[in-house]
Amino acid sequence: MEASQAPSNATPNPNPNNDFTNNGNSILSSTPVWPTIDGPFGLSEEESLSYARRFYKFGYALLPWLWAVNCFYFWPVLRHSRSFPRIRPYVLRSAVGFTVFSALLSSWALTFAIGGERLFGPIWDQLVMYNVADQLGLTGWS
Amino acid sequence: MDQNQRPKTLLDSLGEEIIRILAPVSICMFLVVLLVSILNSNSSTSVTSIATIAYAETSSDSSWDKFVGALLNSLAFVAVVTVVTFILVLLFYLRCTKFLKIYMGFSSFVVLGFMGGEIALIFIEKFSVPIDCITFLVVLFNFAAVGVLAVFMSQMAIFVTQGYLVLIGMLVAYWFTLLPEWTTWVLLVAMALYDLAAVLLPVGPLRLLVELAVSRDEDIPALVYEARPVTHRDSGSGENTVQRRVWRERRNVRQDLEDNLNLNGNVVSDANSSVGTVQSSHNDTRIARVEEGQVSERDAELSAPLIDHRMNGQDGTSAESLVLEGMGLGSSGAIKLGLGDFIFYSVLVGRAAMYDFMAVYACYLAIVAGLGITLMLLAFYQKALPALPVSIALGVLFYFLTRFLLEVFIVQCSLNLVMF
Repeated sequence: MEASQAPSNATPNPNPNNDFTNNGNSILSSTPVWPTIDGPFGLSEEESLSYARRFYKFGYALLPWLWAVNCFYFWPVLRHSRSFPRIRPYVLRSAVGFTVFSALLSSWALTFAIGGERLFGPIWDQLVMYNVADQLGLTGWS
Repeated sequence: MDQNQRPKTLLDSLGEEIIRILAPVSICMFLVVLLVSILNSNSSTSVTSIATIAYAETSSDSSWDKFVGALLNSLAFVAVVTVVTFILVLLFYLRCTKFLKIYMGFSSFVVLGFMGGEIALIFIEKFSVPIDCITFLVVLFNFAAVGVLAVFMSQMAIFVTQGYLVLIGMLVAYWFTLLPEWTTWVLLVAMALYDLAAVLLPVGPLRLLVELAVSRDEDIPALVYEARPVTHRDSGSGENTVQRRVWRERRNVRQDLEDNLNLNGNVVSDANSSVGTVQSSHNDTRIARVEEGQVSERDAELSAPLIDHRMNGQDGTSAESLVLEGMGLGSSGAIKLGLGDFIFYSVLVGRAAMYDFMAVYACYLAIVAGLGITLMLLAFYQKALPALPVSIALGVLFYFLTRFLLEVFIVQCSLNLVMF
């Protein structure tokens, strides 16, 4: 199906050297050819669907970073809202999941770091990482 | 004429490819120098690993004792690397590719998770970063898991895979800088000589490996850094469909080829698989191998495979390093460099950073010059070449020249306000 789009890439200044903008045709900016950010070196659309779905599902194993990589990888799908209707739900949900998870995690981390002992009391010392590392002897070799 | 018609100069095409391999090597070296200068304020830390089983260096020994001890350590290390590489060749010959790939993923996880975690812990303890253990564990788990996926699967974003390979190289190189000083230098020279022998001799394990892979038309499962191929704006749309098949053989017209080509990717084979606690042993084996991209339709594009040494770095009694090093060409001219090369270059520069920054600059220039020479030889000979010897030879030479001759000269000039 990409073959039908290929001729449109021959429009002025396709600039294929820039690997990050695979849709070099600025005129038809709503129809990128490749769903991945790698452009011609990336996946075809059928493979992209299975990869996007798999990344989305694996991300539920406490892996928001995988969701972020999913969004990064399929950036053209996110950016052009009308393209690749089958891949887009997964990438969109990955983006939403990443945002929510990282908001939760960063709010917890910031509360912990800024609140400190005043907020948590003695449990802060038990939770902070350098004490835990000392207790478990994780860096005992140094 | 518009820009499309301007013929590409040599600088555009060749320079672009060289830059695409020089940039990650430089980034890796820079990160290791950064880590070494931030974290190594005390030089008393040392690790027991397979590279120190023969002799543990203490500062009170005489120079000759230290030298002999370092020599014994290096010989033991090279012997272990040779044995493990032969085991890898055997496994590859017996087509245990699945096992190798799983092993590679497992080793990447150990490196990223345990080594990365320990280095992060050192960092946290040094700067008293108030991070709690839950956040730390989640972040580390994410980092390691996505890294394993990036290394394991070939169909991941190129940038993510390259980034993770550079990070793995950086982590292992940092661990190697923790070895005693004499051992490190003799080890570097020994590994350069081993690389030379293993790649060029007809009986060398890496050469056997590459020949096996080429004859079977398969990928060597190993950790290899592959630069993004340079796209040439020759003509119109015809190039697009062909270029699809270049990078890591992603799209093959014949589907059966895809079954043979496992993830074009990198397999880490760990010779020593004793996984203990975080403290006792970390196994890290990396086999950096270069694969060549093959274009299914254009069969004249076979490129020389890269040969790498496998490297395992371990903290503990059973540390073993197998590093595959070597360099080759991808089918579109995309250069592949084994992860072992990244590691040993960075070890050299990191060790120089433990002395002085002047040595760092000198060694960096020497290594880059050596890499350039190796690339030229690669273009000339069109076969798998060892990437270590020239760079390590120049780097070691420049380090000792800087340390014993240049520094004295420059310091005296500066003290007497004679400047250039």
